[in-house]
Amino acid sequence: MRLPTLLGLALTLVVALLFAVFVGDQGPWYFAWVIGTVMIVLISGAGAVLMDAQNEQNPSEEV
Amino acid sequence: MDSYTILKFFWAAILGILFMGLGIMVGMDMGVGTLLRFVGRNDGERRTALNIIGPHWDGNQVWFILGGGAIFAAFPTLYATSFSVFYVVMILLLFSMILRPVAFEYRSKVESSRWRASWDWAFLISGAFPMFVYGAAFGNVMEGVGYHFSWTGQYYQDESFLSYLLNPFAILCGLMSVALSVYQGGAMLMLRAEEPIYGRAQRYAVWGGWTAAVLFALGGVWISRMSGYVLVSGGASGMAPDPIRGQHVARVAGGWLAHFSAHPALWIVPLGGLACMIVGPLVLRANRPALGWWIGAGSWIATIKTVGIAMFPFLMPSSTTPDQSLTIWNSCASAYGLTCMLVLAAIFVPIILSYTSWCYYVMRGKVRTADIVNDTHSY
Amino acid sequence: MEPISSEVVDLSRLQFAVTALYHFMFVPLTLGLTFMLAAMETVYVVTGRKIYKDMAQFWGKLFGINFALGVATGITMEFEFGTNWSMYSRFFGDMFGTPLAIEGLMAFFMESTFVGLMFFGWDRLSKPAHLAVTYLVALGSNLSALWILVANASMNVPQGTHFDPETMRMQFDSIVQVIFNPDAQAKFVHTSVAGYVCASMLVMGISAFYILRGRHKAFAARSFRMAALFGIISTVAVITLGDVLGRLVYEHQPTKLAAMEGVWRTTKPPYEPWLAFAIPDDAKQENDLEIGIPFVLTPLVTHSFTAPITGMKELEDQAGPRISSGIAALTALKAWRASGSASDLAAFNAHKADMGYGFLAARHAPGQDVTAIPAGQLDTVVNETKPDILPNVFVTFWAFRIMVFLSLWFFAVFAFGSYVSLKNRLERNPLLLKLCLWSIPLPILATEFGWITAEAGRQPWTVFDLLPTYLSASTHSVGYMLFSLAGFALIYSIFIAAELYLMFKFARLGPEEHGAHARHDDPGHEDGLVVALGE
Repeated sequence: MRLPTLLGLALTLVVALLFAVFVGDQGPWYFAWVIGTVMIVLISGAGAVLMDAQNEQNPSEEV
Repeated sequence: MDSYTILKFFWAAILGILFMGLGIMVGMDMGVGTLLRFVGRNDGERRTALNIIGPHWDGNQVWFILGGGAIFAAFPTLYATSFSVFYVVMILLLFSMILRPVAFEYRSKVESSRWRASWDWAFLISGAFPMFVYGAAFGNVMEGVGYHFSWTGQYYQDESFLSYLLNPFAILCGLMSVALSVYQGGAMLMLRAEEPIYGRAQRYAVWGGWTAAVLFALGGVWISRMSGYVLVSGGASGMAPDPIRGQHVARVAGGWLAHFSAHPALWIVPLGGLACMIVGPLVLRANRPALGWWIGAGSWIATIKTVGIAMFPFLMPSSTTPDQSLTIWNSCASAYGLTCMLVLAAIFVPIILSYTSWCYYVMRGKVRTADIVNDTHSY
Repeated sequence: MEPISSEVVDLSRLQFAVTALYHFMFVPLTLGLTFMLAAMETVYVVTGRKIYKDMAQFWGKLFGINFALGVATGITMEFEFGTNWSMYSRFFGDMFGTPLAIEGLMAFFMESTFVGLMFFGWDRLSKPAHLAVTYLVALGSNLSALWILVANASMNVPQGTHFDPETMRMQFDSIVQVIFNPDAQAKFVHTSVAGYVCASMLVMGISAFYILRGRHKAFAARSFRMAALFGIISTVAVITLGDVLGRLVYEHQPTKLAAMEGVWRTTKPPYEPWLAFAIPDDAKQENDLEIGIPFVLTPLVTHSFTAPITGMKELEDQAGPRISSGIAALTALKAWRASGSASDLAAFNAHKADMGYGFLAARHAPGQDVTAIPAGQLDTVVNETKPDILPNVFVTFWAFRIMVFLSLWFFAVFAFGSYVSLKNRLERNPLLLKLCLWSIPLPILATEFGWITAEAGRQPWTVFDLLPTYLSASTHSVGYMLFSLAGFALIYSIFIAAELYLMFKFARLGPEEHGAHARHDDPGHEDGLVVALGE
């Protein structure tokens, strides 16, 4: 269980590095899209988690 | 043989495989669509039938899109010319093809029986008509279609669409294609449904298979009397892909059987196909739907192969200007384009096959009417 | 050469424009909603709170309704290159077909296979596996857009191909140049992120509706916040990339840029005004009622204070010699096709770069044959062809402006929405909520106008500087075109009626009635990733 997970992570890392080196050089906007999309997804997710935290601290009905 | 010739030949083979995949997989979904109103007597049964192909129809339809894309990339001149030559028919085909995805998504989202009955008709039309056109297009191409090019490569049409639709040989080929799709769809329903759908699907599939056998044999006799096309001079396999000039082509009665008389061993292909169409229904009757499904796939493979052998190297002969007939050699892409597509296909086709099989594996098992009616995610 | 009828060309253009714009009503929502569903499901998997699963499923249902039409109308587009643009497809297909085929191989297959699992696999897959499937759907739909835009960019800024007189078409030279075409890069990011904006506005607007009605408050507030944050970053990105695209148009397509900005005469930097309002008159070749902001145009477009922007009148004059040279190219080419002599080929190669302008002159030549223009008529043909190099300025100018003004509006709505949502004061701002609701269709409208700017501005070419639209169409009869147009009008009207009916029905029903909570009574915690990792 541990080994395949680690191998998978290592493989993903290698692919990501190769992608970053090659695409970042040849197509900076493509690279920006990948980074930007990940960032957008994470920030909007963080916003939702923040709301859960706000609700736990101050359990008012108002949204 | 030079490498360009090998590339051209290889892509013609891929084209053939795509046509086979289309017949088998899309044909199966279309067959289920055609049979929907007949194997399902009430709403629950019809939804069961739909959900049997529910998780996969979209992926299968992509074969159809991919087929179009592959023709465009590997044989741009063939794509540009054939789609325009059959304009009205292609537009009708398109209309029925685009009805299907919408019918799948929308049919079961509203409770009204009128709404659902209308979409069931949409399934019938969008299942049977495209399969008919698929077969009829093969029929028309074998007879030759009317077009020519100007010196710039602009294409001009010389024949009206009515002569493509009201063409007895094309109608025969179209009906055969519908019959094969009914067989394939019926076999799929038998694989994954229980009674009463199982028994009904069996009856229709058996008749579909035998009808296809009769039409296939009849078509063979017809072709032996029809005029085919033969390269007289030029048109070498390594030629620059220029459809405007560079070959001389003649119409010869029985010309499509030339390869078979030169190499009698090739007869094994059409005869094998005929055998599949006769034996397949017997296997279904013996309640072996999985084996029956594969035999149905065999019928499609043999049928497309037969057409390919008969016409080689022609893809779409011109009846009005035979010298500008499209062949594998003069309508293909550049060596660079074909190589490029080859490398990409070698990477992506195995990936596609592995995730498609995984998808089938995840969604395996019988589909039951009771589960469907209670599941809000189902079609 | 048999003459081409302008009615058929116009009808073919109309049909392509209508079906493409119709297709693009559904595509941007698919591009954006898939990543939003992925974001929601990510939160579900990480926190284990069921409400995020309900969100992914409910918005997934709306996505499904929309996705079906996107797929269906996309098939039309693939058909139409062959059915209506035969000459274009033969001339450019060696290269152009490749990105379309790769789209099928790499993206569309992935998207379509996994979309089935995404809808049907909730109970059959583990949570991380289902999340991975959702990400693959999102990636697939955006890769699909990538390849289409790579293809489109090669029409606007052709790269990696050359004309071959032997085969009478553009031969494919380099896929790397085609993929990394700067226009393709900027266009892809601009379009994909515009899709994020469309999806954010839809989710935010419908959530605002629930909050206004006081329904599904916990559900709607979370959806609203995620959409608002998603939207504000995307809007900033879409504006940034719009600026990049403007620079590229300035460098590669001077006629399109001049039309977008309504520049008839070459500008005098740096005080040249950016026109916020004007009524360009194509016939008189000038603008009426100009209202401009001085000192903005030059730095905005050229990113400098000194570079001039060539005006459309000057561009027309510059085209004159290229048209005569193009006519010479085609005459030599035809002679070489018949004779095969080296001198004809040399004559062609000398004028090869202007061949497209020779094609452009065809419609003004006697019998539409540029190779047989009598010597005395050459100047007349050239002069008649010159105005043809410009697109329709009124359409290009206004389509561009509507898109730009709308994007500023989205920025305001998302910025305000994010702020109020982060403060948890949505209910105190009913006006904002109503504005969100009414703004739902606006991003889709903006993307449509974006396409009109890009494609109307590309005219009169299908392949910029190489093949005119006039010669690209299939030579059908008018009757064929009327038949297909009537068919599209009928089917597409039924589609949009059914789509809107279902969208409104499910949006009104809301998440609970749609069955999610009937099956998951406990809205609380499951074992999420966080809990699992903590053990």
